Amino acid sequence: MLEAALKELPESTPSACNEEHPLHDLRHGIEHAAHLLPAQGPIEVFVHHNTLHAFEDLSFHEAVKEGLRIYGAQPYLPEVRYREMLLSGRIEVADLETALRDDLGGRSDDLVSGLATLHDLRMSMLRHPLQGGSDAELRWLVAETDALERFRDDVPFLVRERMLDRTREWLTDSGSLTGGDVREDLIQKFGRRMQDMPNWDETRWESALLLSLWRICRSGVQSVPVSAPELPGGSHASRPRDILLRATGDDPDRYVHEFLIRFCGAFLDQGYADWNLPDRDHGLFRAFVSVYRQSRGPVDRWLRNLSAELKALWQSTATPEQSILSSLELLGISAEQRDEFIEQTLLALGGWAGMMWQMESAADWTVRPAPKGSLLEFLAVRLILDHQAILYFGEEYLGCNSSAHEVLDRARQRVSPHEATSVDRRAFLVFQLAQIMGWHPQQLLLLSNKEWASLVRNIEEFTTVERRRVFHEAFERQYREQALSAFAVHSGRRREQVRQSASESSTSKNSRDSEPSDHGKPTDQEQTASSAKSRPAWQIVCCIDDREESFRRHLEEIDPSVETFGAAGFFAVVMYYRGAADAYFKPLCPGIVTPEHYVTEDVGYTFEGVNRQRASSRKRIGRITHQVHQRSRTFVGGILTGLFGSLATFPLVARVLFPRLTSQIRKRFGELLQPPPVTQLQLERYEASPGSSNGHVGYTLAEMAGIVQRLLQDIGLTKTEDFSRVVIICGHGSSSINNPHESAYCCGACAGKRGGPNARAFAHMANDFRVRNELQKRGLTIPEETTFLGAYHDTTSDSVVFYDLDRMPASHRTEFERIQKVIEECRERNAHERCRRFVAADLKLPQLEMLRHAETRGEDLSQVRPEYNHATDSMCIVGRRDWSRGLFLDRRAFLTSYDPTQDDADNSVLFRILAAAIPVCAGINLEYYFSTVDNTRYGSGSKLPHNLVSLLGVMEGACSDLRTGLYAQMVEIHEPMRLLFLIETTPEAMLSIIRRHEGIARLCLGGWVQLALIDADTSEIQLFRNGRFEPFDVSVADLPEVASSRDWYAEKRGNLGFASIDS
Amino acid sequence: MMTQDQIFHVLGVIVVASPALLLFMLGFTWLIGLPLSERSTARYTHAAVTIGLVAAATILGMMIAFNTRDVPIELGNWVEIQEEHFHFHLKFAFDRLSVPFSLLSFVLCGTVGAFANVYLHREPGFRRFFLFYSMFLLGMVVSSVAGTIETLFLGWELVGVSSALLVAFFHERHEPVRNGQRVWSVYRIADAAFLIAALTLHHLTGAGDFDGLMGSGSWPESVASIDGQHALIVGLLLLVAAAGKSGMVPFSGWLPRAMEGPTPSSAIFYGALSVHLGAYLLLRVSPVLAVSVPLQVCVILMGGVSAIFGAMASRVQSDVKSALAFASLTQVGIIVVEIGFGLHYIPLVHMIGHACLRTLQLLRAPSLLKDYQTLENAIGARLQKNPSVWEELLAPRQRTWLYRLSLERGYLDGFLNEYIVRPFVRAFRWADAMERRWTDFLIGTDSRESDRVPAFDESLEDLG
Repeated sequence: MLEAALKELPESTPSACNEEHPLHDLRHGIEHAAHLLPAQGPIEVFVHHNTLHAFEDLSFHEAVKEGLRIYGAQPYLPEVRYREMLLSGRIEVADLETALRDDLGGRSDDLVSGLATLHDLRMSMLRHPLQGGSDAELRWLVAETDALERFRDDVPFLVRERMLDRTREWLTDSGSLTGGDVREDLIQKFGRRMQDMPNWDETRWESALLLSLWRICRSGVQSVPVSAPELPGGSHASRPRDILLRATGDDPDRYVHEFLIRFCGAFLDQGYADWNLPDRDHGLFRAFVSVYRQSRGPVDRWLRNLSAELKALWQSTATPEQSILSSLELLGISAEQRDEFIEQTLLALGGWAGMMWQMESAADWTVRPAPKGSLLEFLAVRLILDHQAILYFGEEYLGCNSSAHEVLDRARQRVSPHEATSVDRRAFLVFQLAQIMGWHPQQLLLLSNKEWASLVRNIEEFTTVERRRVFHEAFERQYREQALSAFAVHSGRRREQVRQSASESSTSKNSRDSEPSDHGKPTDQEQTASSAKSRPAWQIVCCIDDREESFRRHLEEIDPSVETFGAAGFFAVVMYYRGAADAYFKPLCPGIVTPEHYVTEDVGYTFEGVNRQRASSRKRIGRITHQVHQRSRTFVGGILTGLFGSLATFPLVARVLFPRLTSQIRKRFGELLQPPPVTQLQLERYEASPGSSNGHVGYTLAEMAGIVQRLLQDIGLTKTEDFSRVVIICGHGSSSINNPHESAYCCGACAGKRGGPNARAFAHMANDFRVRNELQKRGLTIPEETTFLGAYHDTTSDSVVFYDLDRMPASHRTEFERIQKVIEECRERNAHERCRRFVAADLKLPQLEMLRHAETRGEDLSQVRPEYNHATDSMCIVGRRDWSRGLFLDRRAFLTSYDPTQDDADNSVLFRILAAAIPVCAGINLEYYFSTVDNTRYGSGSKLPHNLVSLLGVMEGACSDLRTGLYAQMVEIHEPMRLLFLIETTPEAMLSIIRRHEGIARLCLGGWVQLALIDADTSEIQLFRNGRFEPFDVSVADLPEVASSRDWYAEKRGNLGFASIDS
Repeated sequence: MMTQDQIFHVLGVIVVASPALLLFMLGFTWLIGLPLSERSTARYTHAAVTIGLVAAATILGMMIAFNTRDVPIELGNWVEIQEEHFHFHLKFAFDRLSVPFSLLSFVLCGTVGAFANVYLHREPGFRRFFLFYSMFLLGMVVSSVAGTIETLFLGWELVGVSSALLVAFFHERHEPVRNGQRVWSVYRIADAAFLIAALTLHHLTGAGDFDGLMGSGSWPESVASIDGQHALIVGLLLLVAAAGKSGMVPFSGWLPRAMEGPTPSSAIFYGALSVHLGAYLLLRVSPVLAVSVPLQVCVILMGGVSAIFGAMASRVQSDVKSALAFASLTQVGIIVVEIGFGLHYIPLVHMIGHACLRTLQLLRAPSLLKDYQTLENAIGARLQKNPSVWEELLAPRQRTWLYRLSLERGYLDGFLNEYIVRPFVRAFRWADAMERRWTDFLIGTDSRESDRVPAFDESLEDLG
């Protein structure tokens, strides 16, 4: 019946005009609210994205304030943290002053009530923490501390002396003692000693001064009208729950949530529970009604009337929409309040509501997506429960339960109105500032009411959020200045080097041979002064990922004859991929793209028998494991597993105490079951249309040529003479165990998966001579001697594996062996550099042991930080590697290759690179930003109590909201700054791209990212501010030069500055 | 040259002293303001567990070698009240029950300690965790080798306190604290039952020695020396205590709530060790059970109901930790049934096996997603559910009813709230209201300052 009713929804019946409007509005309101919910889908695929994506049409600073209002989440780091950084030198006073001056614009030198310039006033507020706090706290301060007796500790000596002198003059000169009540106060305090004034000692003067100052401040601010108090997150009182909480001290949400979480978990379950929710297929609302309408149900008092209510609902065949409307009426929510009410109601259990929305709108690929309209039904159910809880609260605490209206009215009577900022609190702020600024009592006494008002306003306007914004700007500024200066200096040095080597090589024969091996580099290569760049011995294309920065840097250090590139790690191969041992196709491409092509990994004829055998043993073992897993939780099966469970001690103890050994043993045995080592990709399509069935799998030759061309153009490797004999395409990923967030550590450009198959497929395509012929027709000639190799880099264990080595021509073997040695050394060095961040790794460990340490991390059950992922990321470089090569970037920069000299007039290559790089890198960076500044609301808290639920996400403990975002252990070393893009292009080109691409425009103009451009020929840098590019002055000219990365980072834990590596 | 008895004595003291010393080290250094570093905490924990484990294993070896059945270790009376005939008698007994159980405690605690050392690295509560952990370890060891009911109670309390504090480990959030308190309250009920049982026992036998309770002979061949009537009273009280501690019906509600702490503590405490403590108690007093048939029936019923309930609830839970908690309950229920049937070694083996398996499962709980993917890839299809036979037999209506019962965890929490907590609270509220009237009357005005404090204070950070 309900279904029938649902079908008859008024949308298609124009006659029911009266009905249509509220329902339409309702759906619209819910959809609007849905965009405010966390956008994280099932945790199996973790795609980094801007946590405040819904607010991207605002500027960054406005958006974080909206975040504060709507989510109650912190906009920036706490003020204390910034002040610590000010003390440690991470923020310099000069930066803070500049940031404040920029913020004030022309108002810096405005005089506030004749006392100080606005700049000085605010600077004091930034530098000195002022006591705020509640009235009770303030009363305590005044009564129990010497706040009115002694100066604050941070008042400079000279200021103190001057104030004392002035006050002495003022008080002893009785003629000018105008403030009558001040005098009274003093008399009250000092009594007869007043007569003795000339003989007072310093401390007595101090207390007299402070007392009169306090008195004057109090009477001064009394005249200033109090603006309407604004609650933090002002809209938070829109739900009845807020009133009830304040009236009774008990939280109705506690009851509702516990119930609702269990139900949502059961509804969304992707197959963990053995027993499914009855009527699940009919949607959340109907399942809820049908399960809970039966009598003899829960005995909890607040749920007593639920089944009767639901029976009535069932009989009335009300749709979820109608149910919502009637609930809204019962709760007394007016039409104007409605949207905000719905928003706040959904956000109260935002994680689950968000997952509901994701499962209905963007999860077709999951086992059981939720039916359309699930979020709406969720709201309907929630409101029914809210209503029950309100009635229960009425009965339990307020002595009435006839209707929600009445309950809420009673509750409102009990709640005392929120107190406005009290006179004492305001006065105390002025009092503290007066000490710091050295305003003496007499000076304040002369202020008019208007001047007081202006003073108080100027102080109060500079709220903690504003202060933190200025701090934050200074914090970013300090890094930006250093970074951009480093690039300016370093690129200059690089040019100098090239010039020198060019002149050297023209005079003498190339004497400097820094290669580790004697073989390989063709030394007879022609070298002219005009093209100083010699042909590299080999080339490698890595992902733009910040974790590959150090990998590339070490490769270049070990073997100067290598050339490295960075490109988004799917290497232009957009595909659904199924490995030989996989059951399903998975998308391997950025999350925003939907692939059309399918690629499978096949086992050749030779190994087919072996493969079939192994596949069937895998299947058998898989079935048995699953049975054991499932049955160990049942009655009978449990007895058996229980009796033989002692055997579990061995794996238990072994895996915890000897993770590395155990994993090696497991691997050894696992190999017997894995598909045979020799496989091939089915990459070429013979049928017209792409698809997943036989014949439709793969690409046509033209499509392959397009892919190869696209990537090579992106990285600027298109000239025949630029190709080396070996080009390695290196995808990346990460593997760790006991980690539901594993996907977050993998390649972002492959939708949180491992990018090895993409690299393999690309190499395959680029090696195909037919593809090369096609490319030649398009004007891109790859030399015949060039061979491409696919590889995969695991960023946790720092292992590198190669694909399809058997297909490599024998002529390249010696070169490859040399390269392999270089990579082997590189992974050790890379692991060594990474491990300096792990407190658990001793800084003095030798290189090889550091590598072992890194390898163990991914295999240890108890490890919550397999690696640090993108933490500390702060920059994205787009341009030729030439000018940034050899600059120590501390694994903090995304590196994208782009050659502006090869781009067309429209900058179409840059356009397509940035169209992906800016949103993706900014998304990663901003997710880290928000999860760091408020790990509770934007992040997912500590990983330690995480509990996987419904195979979809994690809760804290057994019953909490779904936790989205990054967990605390992932971001603990992160510095929350907006990503600084440094792009090698001209302002005109960049402005044109901003004009043409809406997404880029929003991020750049809204200040969600920082943007700078560099001219590699002159090292001139332009900084994007307020919609235009301004020349950047190099402020920090000294850039350290060190012999190797290791010299720079050795035995240091924290973030490091920039340095030129002179190798 | 030490005699055999002396060696036993020394080893026995080491078994108990090593965790006690650990607790002292971690607690005292912190108390005097010199807290240990992560590394030394780990080192001391490691040492204490290893020493205790080796000592316990040596005792086991010697017992087998010399065919000793029972090694009592007397530490004398710690409190003596002559007039009341009360003494707190500290005595440990190493026999075929306590030695395997203490070995289990050491092995599991040791493994989890090593696990937690890495898992909690850089966690602000690291020291607090290990303090509670050492308290728990001591409690477990004392409970397992206790030779008198007072000693058992001492260990039992240590386990209770540390468990509740570990549930509330993340005390900056509301839910863990609330749930910790809930666990604590249930434990108090169990403790009260236990205490009354101990007093009754004292009253009946004049001493709390298990010897007195179980007559002569060492476990499990001992025969109780009290009559059936008394055995029923004491036994029922102990059954309530065991039910509270092991989360059996009707106290099962706290099991999933206890999953608030860090994963390793949930694993060891609620999945593996402390959940078995109730069953261990029953096993310890099994000679008493043998005396009274009605008591045996009660034990079997309680175990059976818990096992069935646990199996049902476990089937519908959609989160890993709750499902494992109820799965544990099923097995504990079955173990209790086994004890009720008068078996001795089977429940012991079952207990040890189950504890090990569950610990491994809980520690690996976050791997679930990956396991499922691996299995799906191996099988080549989505994992199939096999509906159990009786599910098919039921009419849809009954099936839905049972489903709801299982999803709502048997309404047990609601039941306790409604029929025990609520009357209790109301009675005290009433008394409070009477008192207020009286004091108001005496003073002539409102006598309670606390009434003027608002019920809820937004102590948000000042974001003005």
